[in-house]
Amino acid sequence: MRNKERRINYKKRRSYIEFLYILPFLILVGAFSYFPLYGWIYAFHDYRPPFPITNETFVGLKWFQHIVSNPVRVNDILRVIRNTFAMSGISLFFSWFPMVFAVFLNEIHCRPYRKFVQTVTTLPNFISWVLVFSIAFNVFGSFGAVNSVLQDLGVISKPISFLKSSEHIWFKMWLWLTWKNAGWAAIMYLAAISGIDEQMIEAAKVDGATRMQIIGHITIPSILPTYFVIVMLNIASFLSNGMEQYYVFQNAFNQDYIEVLDLYVYNIATSGTGNYPLSTAISMLKSVVSVVLLAGANGFSKLVRGEGFI
Amino acid sequence: MKRFLSLLLTLAMLLSLVSVSAVAEEAPLVIDIYDAAANYHGIQTGWFAKVVKDRFNLELNIIAPQVAGNELYATRAEEGNLGDIVIVDKKDFSDLLAAGLVRDISDKLPECENIMQFKTQIDVYNKGLTGEDGKYYGIPSEMTDTSPTTLTDDVIYSSPMLRWDLYTQIGQPEIKDLDGLLDVLAQIHEIHPANDAGDPAYPFTLWADWDGNDNMIGIANVVQLTTWYGEKIKQSAILKPDNTFSPIYDRENAYYKITKWLNKAYQMGLVDPESGEQDWNSVMNKLQTGRADLMWYSWEVGFWNSVDRLSDGTAFIFIPVADQLYYADADRYYGSDRMFGIGSKVEGEKYDRIMAFLDWYASPEGVTFQHAGIEGLNYTVGEDGKFVPFHDDALMANLPVPEEYGGGGYNDGNNAINQWIASSICVNPLTGERYAQKFWQSYKDMTMTQMKREWQERFGAEDAVDYMKKNGQLLASPSVDFTPTPDSNDIAAMRVDVNKTLCTYTWQLIFCETDDDFEALWDKMVEKMDGFGYKELYENDVAVYQAEVDAKIAAAGN
Repeated sequence: MRNKERRINYKKRRSYIEFLYILPFLILVGAFSYFPLYGWIYAFHDYRPPFPITNETFVGLKWFQHIVSNPVRVNDILRVIRNTFAMSGISLFFSWFPMVFAVFLNEIHCRPYRKFVQTVTTLPNFISWVLVFSIAFNVFGSFGAVNSVLQDLGVISKPISFLKSSEHIWFKMWLWLTWKNAGWAAIMYLAAISGIDEQMIEAAKVDGATRMQIIGHITIPSILPTYFVIVMLNIASFLSNGMEQYYVFQNAFNQDYIEVLDLYVYNIATSGTGNYPLSTAISMLKSVVSVVLLAGANGFSKLVRGEGFI
Repeated sequence: MKRFLSLLLTLAMLLSLVSVSAVAEEAPLVIDIYDAAANYHGIQTGWFAKVVKDRFNLELNIIAPQVAGNELYATRAEEGNLGDIVIVDKKDFSDLLAAGLVRDISDKLPECENIMQFKTQIDVYNKGLTGEDGKYYGIPSEMTDTSPTTLTDDVIYSSPMLRWDLYTQIGQPEIKDLDGLLDVLAQIHEIHPANDAGDPAYPFTLWADWDGNDNMIGIANVVQLTTWYGEKIKQSAILKPDNTFSPIYDRENAYYKITKWLNKAYQMGLVDPESGEQDWNSVMNKLQTGRADLMWYSWEVGFWNSVDRLSDGTAFIFIPVADQLYYADADRYYGSDRMFGIGSKVEGEKYDRIMAFLDWYASPEGVTFQHAGIEGLNYTVGEDGKFVPFHDDALMANLPVPEEYGGGGYNDGNNAINQWIASSICVNPLTGERYAQKFWQSYKDMTMTQMKREWQERFGAEDAVDYMKKNGQLLASPSVDFTPTPDSNDIAAMRVDVNKTLCTYTWQLIFCETDDDFEALWDKMVEKMDGFGYKELYENDVAVYQAEVDAKIAAAGN
């Protein structure tokens, strides 16, 4: 009897201690994911710096009505959401690219060359977008390297406005993103590849498998779990595709297609006098769309696997 | 033993003396300056830091929303302390007072002799702010000692300027209107397709960084040129020469006229293809290397004109266009759009020291440092006590500063506050001449070159302003004390979208391939601006700026 009591007490104490293990993470989530939601109150107030928000500034759903009551505004927001979906969609669609890149990189047997390629492709990840743009400006600007060479060769007579047109802008943005990130993203897959059991590959070689067969039947299947985890993470950040890239590349000629949700919110809050309540209200929209996406993915999972993840 | 004791006592006395004198000297102090004018964020360094440190033992910590982001304003206001000294736009200053973020300086300001030489202007502003006499909160910036209707400068803020040698090479043709100017520019482009280094040069090289700035919606390059036809943009409205307002997008107005003109220039191949994708830094580099054939801001010539270039005739100078009417602001007697104030958390000794610093900032010595620079580097003093220019490239070339002034580069150590209480037009009591170099007799003698004499002969006038006055082409707008009402959130929301639409479309309009495309796109722009509430915004702005117009009419009548 006493023994049992002691065991229960011990169990209880252990559960407390185990709770302490996750406490730091709960605090982190609370501080960085839940506390910022407090900022949402600005969407319900007529807040204008330097005046603090008080009971008098409370306006209820005024800014939400403002969003939906003006058809031009609604169109504008739909345009921005379209851009966000399109560019995140393209990234998602090509998310296999770093994996394939890693697989081929792994096939290079000349070690110095492999190291060289890996370093060169990883380096752009550490360059800020502002610098990336200045590279773009010097290479693809109207007087940039590409235009100069083409003009000197007599291929074109007038410079091509690579940066000043909205043609294929989504794809171009994906290319820049890939140039910057592919090498970095490949590191994860290279790690996964190095974890593959050498014996399997050697056995396959003994059985006469070609290089492509080894890749198709051993390498790729072994790193697919890694790929799916990364795709999952990408979906989670579908709407937060960052704004720095689009901020530096935006100009009057491509703005209609390049402005994503984050950038739109930033532009409204900070240009001119700015309007914090409205931009907060629009940024809340992001959460709404995310919840819809999550519910959609959950439903899809239920349909396919028979169980959801919520 | 006695001797030893007496020695000890003497030593102790000496020590205490030393410590007393150390206390008497003011302790080092860092003051935070929230500065809407600054282009530098951080502690002031270099020669100006030394000037301030030596006199007041102060360090200036510049907090610059232009560098670190406008969000600073909201977050610091939320904290209840914007800075020890605040320099903000006029329209924000009344907000700061209402929110309790600036302090009453009525007790100390009247004792500041240097600042109080502008008593008239300070009284007018503060009376307008509080409605009471003798209550002081704000000090206007860049005030002049002239009058609200004087125009002291010999050039105005914006007018067409061409390179004299190129204009002469094509035969100094008379220019009737904008089309005539385009013809001239086309001819210049033909004889000057590239600079000496072989890089392509264009009449127009445009930039987008400043669009929608300075209380004017639309792209800065077009907005500025509307003043060539006497039209001044006030937010979303255009003020016509007859003092009536008109919507910015009406086709009879100068915004349309200039946009259309730039489009014509583009169709003629006169616009730098990098326009719209380059930023101001790239344009500045082009101005410095002779890759722009037309300038329109008076200060732009500073990137090219030098005493040498004025001598060999390759400098830029005003070339009149017959059908133009140039809008110019008269001397800013009542100050510019920014205000100086003291943060509400400043008390006691700190308050005294800051006020002493500000008073020095408006003193002849302080103003000379701000507008004329350092003796022995930027100027020398002649036998008559007047200044003579020296090293006029100190700022541009970031020349090394003499060790006694703290060393370092001149530009690096230049006053980062970037806003003045006294304008450079004021007369320096030490020399009897105005602070700014261009008004010194010595400078005038130096720059009275062959080129200027040729210009005077060709146009029959002393200088640009003289020409405009003689030919009835000058519309000088008197200085008045006016504070625009801050935007409510509803108006701000409209302004953001209307401005963005106008800017985006204007750029696309300039690069239209045909006139039909241009007109169709203009209609589309008007429709979209209306959709974002342009009409309401326009009515709001007209109501706000009518007060300024009324005051200007009254001032001009006096």
